[in-house]
Amino acid sequence: MRRVNVWKMLFVVFVSLVLMAGCSSKESGTDEKESSGSSSSSNEEELVIAVNENFISMDPHNTGDTNSNSVQTAMFEGLLGSDEEGQIIPQLAEEYSVSDNALEYSFKLRQGVTFHDGEPFNAEAVKTSFERIMKDESLRLNSRGFNLITSIDVIDDYQIKVTLKEPYAGMLTRFVSAKILSPKLINDSSGDIGKTPVGTGPFKFVEWVQGDHLTVERFDDYWDKADRVKKITYKPVPENGSRVAMLKTGEAHVIYPAPVQNLKELESNTDVEIHKIPSTIARYVSINTMKEPYDDVRIRQAINYAVNKEAFISVVNSGYGLPLDSIIPSKTQFYSKQETYDHNIEKAKELMKEAGFEDGFNAEIWGNTNSDTLKGMQFIQQQLKEIGITVEIKSMEEGTLSDEIYGAQTPEEAKVQMWYVSWSAYPSDTTNATKPLFSSSSFPPDGANTAYYKNDDVDKWITEVNQTADPDKQAEIYSNIQSAIYKDAPWIFLGVDEILAGSRSNVEGVFISPTGGINVTDANLK
Amino acid sequence: MLQYILKRILEMIPILFIVSILIFFFTHLIPGDPARLVAGKDATLDEVNIIRAELGLDKPIWDQYITYMSNLFQGDLGTSLKTGLPVSEMFADRFMPSIYLTFMSMGWALVLGLLIGTLSAVFKNKWPDYLGMVTAVSGISMPGFWLGLILIQIFSVQLGWFPTGGAESWKSYILPSLTLGAGIMSMLARFTRSSLLETLRADFIRTGRAKGLKESVVIPKHALRNSLIPVVTIAGLQFGFLLGGSVVVETVFSFPGMGRLLIDSIAFRDYPVIQAELLLFSIEFILVNLIVDIMYSMLNPKIRYVS
Repeated sequence: MRRVNVWKMLFVVFVSLVLMAGCSSKESGTDEKESSGSSSSSNEEELVIAVNENFISMDPHNTGDTNSNSVQTAMFEGLLGSDEEGQIIPQLAEEYSVSDNALEYSFKLRQGVTFHDGEPFNAEAVKTSFERIMKDESLRLNSRGFNLITSIDVIDDYQIKVTLKEPYAGMLTRFVSAKILSPKLINDSSGDIGKTPVGTGPFKFVEWVQGDHLTVERFDDYWDKADRVKKITYKPVPENGSRVAMLKTGEAHVIYPAPVQNLKELESNTDVEIHKIPSTIARYVSINTMKEPYDDVRIRQAINYAVNKEAFISVVNSGYGLPLDSIIPSKTQFYSKQETYDHNIEKAKELMKEAGFEDGFNAEIWGNTNSDTLKGMQFIQQQLKEIGITVEIKSMEEGTLSDEIYGAQTPEEAKVQMWYVSWSAYPSDTTNATKPLFSSSSFPPDGANTAYYKNDDVDKWITEVNQTADPDKQAEIYSNIQSAIYKDAPWIFLGVDEILAGSRSNVEGVFISPTGGINVTDANLK
Repeated sequence: MLQYILKRILEMIPILFIVSILIFFFTHLIPGDPARLVAGKDATLDEVNIIRAELGLDKPIWDQYITYMSNLFQGDLGTSLKTGLPVSEMFADRFMPSIYLTFMSMGWALVLGLLIGTLSAVFKNKWPDYLGMVTAVSGISMPGFWLGLILIQIFSVQLGWFPTGGAESWKSYILPSLTLGAGIMSMLARFTRSSLLETLRADFIRTGRAKGLKESVVIPKHALRNSLIPVVTIAGLQFGFLLGGSVVVETVFSFPGMGRLLIDSIAFRDYPVIQAELLLFSIEFILVNLIVDIMYSMLNPKIRYVS
């Protein structure tokens, strides 16, 4: 029995240790809570923003996701920035110009700007940041465009010129993404940039607790002295219901995205405002134009006539969205509206008959396992049934789907018939909204042209448009591209998402861009 | 006993070795190319290949395993493909919140489960029994995410007592631990009840009662103690699952724990993070099993471990 008692004692000690550990964490936690005052009622100097996903990195030169980008825009600025519509505006550069051959970019820099660590902002600082993007091999995601740079010339302290070896139409957008880091940070500790971000932005970094929150505070030496909130905390909250609850209790001042199913309830709440922003997210189904019977343009057009786009928006997107009336959303630069395929079953049947498929055929549609995707695919299935096409739905987990799509090395190997998917590009980067999707050089695995669309004119125009810096000429070529592709119908053109965000009514100066980025430069609480 | 524990710990080494091989190869078997996922939809094949080489994914899988293991022996869990941060660093912020949450859930699940189970058995077919079993059945049948959202609605939105999520203070732990513990509490209550009922029918209980022992001695000291062996087994197993299985609850309460990290990593095919997490969960599971075995002998001195 004695032996058992020893074990009993050990067990009691173990349990008490666990409890003590628990309690001590509680105590320290309480203090933290009280000092940070995260409840909105006790302290109006802190703005809390809840987003749906974790932030991945705070190194702006190595970031591909919108949420990390959003947080970074509070701390960093580029030579150029973007406005509420997503169009390019000067930021750390006061003026800029592009040479006629689209090879030379000249910038006149803003004076009197300092980094959060006290370093001055000047042409050398810009050069240091750009050289990091060009030379550091680990910055694979952001080197696109910068790998075309042949020289960066510092003309004087506040003038800089960048020269490319070949024209690249997305370059101005790259200057927006290429945030300028403190040269001291780059030279001293290149390994820690993602953890200790130092920029020139209106807010400076405080702390980042992985998976829980990231906090920034007002930078009082910021060049634009507007009144803004003292502190901002970003929180990843993946569960829709929890995000809504946070907005209702005031634990969060801004939530993005606001879930569609809760909008009615939120709209009736007087403390809350709902924002609907037309996005650059195009929703479509790509149709494999090299596979029978989809290689017949009449079949693809018939499919487009058979799908009721308005019903799509109201059924699948709960009424929030706009029809996709070109190959790019209307917020994208050089957009030109096309004559849409209005819902017309008779016309669709006629086209099917002309193509020799009066009785329809069996088809397959692929998509990821997201419940909204499934709803969308079921909608397409039901719509195409009207013209005799029996659609089988295959939903696959994202990684598996990506393997299926990009695993095919040649168009002949591709098994995909229809893919329910979306694409979002920067509003100012029409190249990215067209070339990877419609150029014949972008067939998987080399790009996202999963419709295997090939049109020699379009290929030629896509090359041409990238070689000029003249906006009028670009507009003309892009107009041709849009009308040719829209007629060829390599996609079912479904809709453009409206992105939804919610905020407490006392929030000012926070806006969401068409790409879903959250801008807090002028954020304040009334 | 001490020898037995040492032996068990030594036995862990080959087990962990086999587990590490299984984890490594199964992780790499999941369809989906991390290089493609890192590169993004609009990447060209060249870009994807550059990334693949950089991540070392172009090497033969045995080669990758050897590199992985040799790093592991030097205490290096690898670097996340997604964030570029060392995996150990990503764990640092999340490990303790997950552990606290698990212990808290287990703690109150044990206390309430045993209490409800004992009361139900003692008052068999009377109202405390019915009430207890209704609670237990509801606890088992309510899905975690649903219970979680209901608790948020009542206690955060309506009453404003607790935050909706995060892990900032002790208050943040209350609702998630209640949600996480509900199922286990119910299971323990049912097991305690049936096990106790069985023991109460045993000869030695009758003897005890015949000797004139009071019920307050018979139940806790003789009956309950002897009924606990199956309960401890269940509790131990559940505890192991809790450590890695709080994914849903962590998502509902935006809790910065290990479960959510695992889900995020799987979606992104972040091999180093998935591997390290699974390995950690395996170690925890094995340790919990060891503790359960030790507790057997505390509960019933007849069980002796011979080395």
